[in-house]
Amino acid sequence: MDTVIDARGLTHAYPDGTTAISDVDLTIERGERVAVVGANGSGKSTLQLALGGLVAPTAGEVTYFGETTDAEAVRERLGVLLQDPNDYLFNTTVREDIEYGPAQLGLPRERAERRVASLADELGLTDLLDRPPFRLSGGEKQRAAVASVLAFDPDVLLLDEPFGAVDAHYRARIRDLVRDHDGTVVVFTPSLDAVPEIAERVLVVDRDGSIAADASARAVLTDGDLLADVGLRPPTTVRVFAGLLDDSDVPLTVPEARERLRDAL
Amino acid sequence: MSGVLGRSVETITGALRALFAAEQLATADGFLQRRDPRVSLCAITALALGVVLTRTLGVALCFAALTAGLARLSAVPLRRLLARSAVVPLVSALVVLPQAILLPGDALVRLFGVTVTEAGVAYVLLFTVRVGVGVALLSLLVLTTPFSALVAALRELRVPVPLVWVVAVTYRYLFLFFDELQRLVLARNSRTTGETGLRDGWRDARRIAGTFVLRTLDRGERVGRGMRARGGSRPPSPYGRSRRVGVADYALLALAAVAVVVSGVIRWTP
Repeated sequence: MDTVIDARGLTHAYPDGTTAISDVDLTIERGERVAVVGANGSGKSTLQLALGGLVAPTAGEVTYFGETTDAEAVRERLGVLLQDPNDYLFNTTVREDIEYGPAQLGLPRERAERRVASLADELGLTDLLDRPPFRLSGGEKQRAAVASVLAFDPDVLLLDEPFGAVDAHYRARIRDLVRDHDGTVVVFTPSLDAVPEIAERVLVVDRDGSIAADASARAVLTDGDLLADVGLRPPTTVRVFAGLLDDSDVPLTVPEARERLRDAL
Repeated sequence: MSGVLGRSVETITGALRALFAAEQLATADGFLQRRDPRVSLCAITALALGVVLTRTLGVALCFAALTAGLARLSAVPLRRLLARSAVVPLVSALVVLPQAILLPGDALVRLFGVTVTEAGVAYVLLFTVRVGVGVALLSLLVLTTPFSALVAALRELRVPVPLVWVVAVTYRYLFLFFDELQRLVLARNSRTTGETGLRDGWRDARRIAGTFVLRTLDRGERVGRGMRARGGSRPPSPYGRSRRVGVADYALLALAAVAVVVSGVIRWTP
């Protein structure tokens, strides 16, 4: 496997002295589906920004694609979605915002237009394309932000809470788009319910910004003690079936839970 | 919103948001909307230059008539154009008003022992009309051309990148910051009961102003990251909106060129 992101001793402290991430070592391989989970304030977003080359670490470094430590040199290959869509959407219309990345990165206009139309259709934005982003609802802004990051089809997606404020229908659409993305996906989220549907590997960020665990989705999501230690709770399905089934049989997703219930009944 | 502060913020943000609403005019079917953005940019800038050059009220009024004609052809309501363009010339008039008594010349009227001269009044009038028409022309350009098309046209016309950066970033950040201010005021109002007095309003305003500065710094940094995340460290490069330059485009350019030349000839002919 090729390594797309390799972080060594990554540490970031804010000017007020708060250490957001502490001595993080991690390697992401090409094509992996990874979830980075942690409680509020654990440093997930800072870790995402540091991995995306958008904040300079106070110590350590990140190597991209085994080639460079300069994120700007590989910017067109990194799709970084920020946590707050208000930070991400700043153009005069939704269309311009979705086009912004492809235009900045020099993608041919025809290709960008096709991509915009396709994403707008997938995410229910077609009728909103000519509206100013600030006039959208929270969920619509989030969908527009997701479309904006997917528009230039990056090799690696680093998505901070991509499902925030989105209704169930479009949450499933975003999940499918992320799952179908032909590249590497790293999702940063405090909500574990969506994790099993998009990630095979889970990194747990402790409250002090260090990595508390790095294991398969099943190993992490069924480890109630580990999750409790870092201020998280297992997904709903795991909590329902915990104690009723072995950890290896506990369903992680709703379809799996339905299957187990059907077997039992 | 309640209180002086709330009403003030609402007025300012409302005006700024109206600018966004103006983008709808840019997609209307009108004369300037159908022009290539590069042509609109060059022609309108030339006309603005022409009006700035003139020292004759009659010529400045001709430019005003031309501006009104272009607005009409472009389906831009004159009242709206006037409303958008009125503030700057009015402020300019206030600034140059003392010239009405300071410039020597024949007395027009004496008020409270002060002599208002004909030359002084003519200067104030000419100055105000020139500024007003110049601002109206630039407003007309913004009203009839999508902002991204203007930025793309600036790039295509090889305007220096730092200048395009300044234009693009100022426009984007201005609205974000006023949105931030509105959110702060909304947060304050959501926890304020009853009518607040002037004193309380100003006390809150001081607090909000401090928080606003900090939040705008933070927001600016985060939006900067958002731009960088999508290749924003490169010069602004929206997709060009240029069209095939046609007869009407050449006609507009010719009209602007003639207007500038005539204005210059009248200005410098002894």
